Amino acid sequence: MTSTTRSDQFISVIETHRGILHKIANVYATTPEDRKDLIQEIVLQLWKAFDNYDPRFKYSTWIYKVSLNVSLAFSRKEHNRLKHVDPLRDDLVQFADQDEPAAMETRFRFLQQFIAELRAIDRAILLLYLEEKSQREMAEIIGITETNISTRVGRIKAQLKKKFDQIQK
Amino acid sequence: MKNMEETNFVLLWKEHYQKIDQSLAINKRLLKEMLMRKAHSSIRSLIGGRVIGIVAGVIWLAILGVVLAIAFAHYSTAANYFIVSIGAIFLINVKALYDYVRHLVLVSSLRLDGSVVEIQNKLRDLRVSLIRHCRIMVLQLPFWSTFYLSSKWFPGTVGAGYVVFQLLFTAAFVWVALWLYKRLTFKGPENRWVRFFLSGTGGKAILSALDFCRELEDLEN
Repeated sequence: MTSTTRSDQFISVIETHRGILHKIANVYATTPEDRKDLIQEIVLQLWKAFDNYDPRFKYSTWIYKVSLNVSLAFSRKEHNRLKHVDPLRDDLVQFADQDEPAAMETRFRFLQQFIAELRAIDRAILLLYLEEKSQREMAEIIGITETNISTRVGRIKAQLKKKFDQIQK
Repeated sequence: MKNMEETNFVLLWKEHYQKIDQSLAINKRLLKEMLMRKAHSSIRSLIGGRVIGIVAGVIWLAILGVVLAIAFAHYSTAANYFIVSIGAIFLINVKALYDYVRHLVLVSSLRLDGSVVEIQNKLRDLRVSLIRHCRIMVLQLPFWSTFYLSSKWFPGTVGAGYVVFQLLFTAAFVWVALWLYKRLTFKGPENRWVRFFLSGTGGKAILSALDFCRELEDLEN
């Protein structure tokens, strides 16, 4: 495959799954600048891993694995870790109309805030749960048993529910 | 606010992102530009800090090696302190450089498309290997307190005061080296002086990796 065809194929994969990158960046990076950096880092690592992509797995599974691994490393590195990456003038994944949704629902804001308070690994598990991944796929992406996934999801949901309940009081 | 007993987090998530997904777009021009730049930037970053570190290490070892060779070529018993001290520093630095190069090779060959636990464990192990590198480096400290001594004048021609001072001086270096060696471990990053030492030597990534280890261990249990 020529390099142009290969890069075109890669761009098409990224375009199809752009939502995953956006959601993961929202979960693991808090500022717009960090989100831009994180998406850039994820795309670079996906491109690096693209040659070794195993077609037995779905693209989405592959993207989740690489993206979550990059995000977990990103979330515990120093802020200036990406100095070696050329700064981008614009966002790689952007809103077509360039406007962030102004009025985010209050409940969603709470959910987002609670997710941010979770431990990095738990955030990954909750993200996959919210994305309605099967327990089998979650177990494959995270690398623990389905039983363990089920237990963790139960615990995280209980934590979330407790926090939502506290807000209502 | 809707009662959270009834709230479905999945629905909340879906509703929010359904709206956003439609308006998301990939900046293809930027992505293409980035893919083209990728090869160059990754080579540049590799050449940047890491290779410079290795080159500096090799130059430092070469200097120590030349100094040792000269000491051997003009051997006299007066140079024993010097030969033993610089020899030990040389060997410790050879081991440290070897570990560092090995570490960098492992880091650059790491693929991130494995499961989260598998890859994060590998990343943790790689970062912890940097701790081993630090541990080995601190062992050279005592030898920096003895290399300048010569049996021509020490301890024979100096006063008892200087001998006591030298012994205490070297003992202090030994103590600091052993203290750091013992505490620069996987389990012992809690001590504030060790954290200070690590953060002062660019080891903040190591500290956060150690903190992250607990999360991983917890997950696997």
